[in-house]
Amino acid sequence: MTHVVLESCIRCKYTDCVDVCPVDCFREGPNMLAIDPDECIDCAVCIPECPVNAIVPEEDVPGDQQHMIKLNAELAPRWPSITRRKSPPPDADEWKDRRGKLSELIR
Amino acid sequence: MTYAGEPPVAQPQGAAAASHDRDAPGDRIETDAVIVGAGPVGLFQVFELGLLEVKVHVIDSLSYPGGQCIELYPDKPIYDIPAVPMCTGRELTENLLKQIEPFGATFHFGQEVTQVERQPDGRFHVETARGTRFLARTIFVAGGVGAFQPRQLRVDGIDKFEDTQLFYRVKDPAQFAGKNLVMIGGGDSALDWSLNFAGGVRGDSPYKAESVILIHRRDGFTAAPASVARMREMCDAYQMQFMVGQATGFEERDGRLAHLRVTGSDGVTRLVPLDMLLVFFGLSPKLGPIAEWGLALDRKQIVVNTETFETSVPGVFAIGDVNTYPGKKKLILSGFHEAALAAFGAAPYIFPDKRVLLQYTTTSPKLHKVLGVETPVFD
Repeated sequence: MTHVVLESCIRCKYTDCVDVCPVDCFREGPNMLAIDPDECIDCAVCIPECPVNAIVPEEDVPGDQQHMIKLNAELAPRWPSITRRKSPPPDADEWKDRRGKLSELIR
Repeated sequence: MTYAGEPPVAQPQGAAAASHDRDAPGDRIETDAVIVGAGPVGLFQVFELGLLEVKVHVIDSLSYPGGQCIELYPDKPIYDIPAVPMCTGRELTENLLKQIEPFGATFHFGQEVTQVERQPDGRFHVETARGTRFLARTIFVAGGVGAFQPRQLRVDGIDKFEDTQLFYRVKDPAQFAGKNLVMIGGGDSALDWSLNFAGGVRGDSPYKAESVILIHRRDGFTAAPASVARMREMCDAYQMQFMVGQATGFEERDGRLAHLRVTGSDGVTRLVPLDMLLVFFGLSPKLGPIAEWGLALDRKQIVVNTETFETSVPGVFAIGDVNTYPGKKKLILSGFHEAALAAFGAAPYIFPDKRVLLQYTTTSPKLHKVLGVETPVFD
């Protein structure tokens, strides 16, 4: 099992989650975060931190977001570790309620 | 969570409740068992060892028992404790403390275990950050997802003022008296200490600061409503100030933190002068040194066998969220089961010459004696 960052994170990247991760398993892409499934210990501490509810346990990934399980696993090893919160993109709030942001993802 | 007011749960009763203040470095405490972590599973380990008549010492980095239950979800309902249809994290902790009362465990709060070393005689030297030292036959690691640490203020370069002008907890309130203080946060700790330094709820604080400015990112608080109301009254009476905003930078003068840059919800950045900065962003767990005790790990969790919950090091057991094994589920109820089996697993180390049998609390007169209860008469 692991926890998974869903599409909601794309272009929002608030990074509140990284501060609380006890094992530093978040990875930072240009406009989204990913969880390294080999590092996550399923403690669930990050879930309530995300202002856009982008983090769920693998078992709770909605049907239309199943591709994100694979995408987290694929992107995490390529992206650098992020362990400290930073400012979100200036237009994060404009993107937080949008759906179907996968085409916006920069790998 | 609060440091200023009352502890969030009743302190352990009947326990030789050693507070960290009373732990004098120097004397090494000899004991049959040390439990690392006073969360629900660590507390239940006290019970299971207690039934086997093992006296224990419990260490926790927090200043109070309860672990994640108290720190992360004290008031949220838990529905999956067997035979308890619903209870909160706080209630679970209080019930466990009541349940372990007969066993007189000694608690060492507010200290993190920094060192675990096997001695030539097979026992373990355990040492905490405060210098409390133990010589233990067995160790039970119930460390959850790690020791709780204050969440840091994320402003580049401000770390260098930590412990001189930037603080995450109040150890000695006197050091802030008469100073110009900036406090950040919206929880009980931030509010309680702001009120205290602004003169006290009844205007009788011995630690009155020169000035107090409270900053929170929004005009809404998780602190007790009464504290928030009192804070607003004190602002109206010019005894303190409240600003909505976030710290985004600082200005330094002669190597001292002179001003904090605070960006308000209006987008305007203001310079706030200060002597001391107190940040209360709550606590979050970090696995930390447990990962360096030489125990076999898998994905940063301690590998155990499911017969005794012993780790790769004989005499060291791991229970609750900190361990892993095939099929592991991070549930409190699983941790309780693990504690029972770990206690029996440890018995051969503690009582090498004794056969330890399973007895039932319903029927065993010996256990009734241990629990300090009357043996019921069966008709």
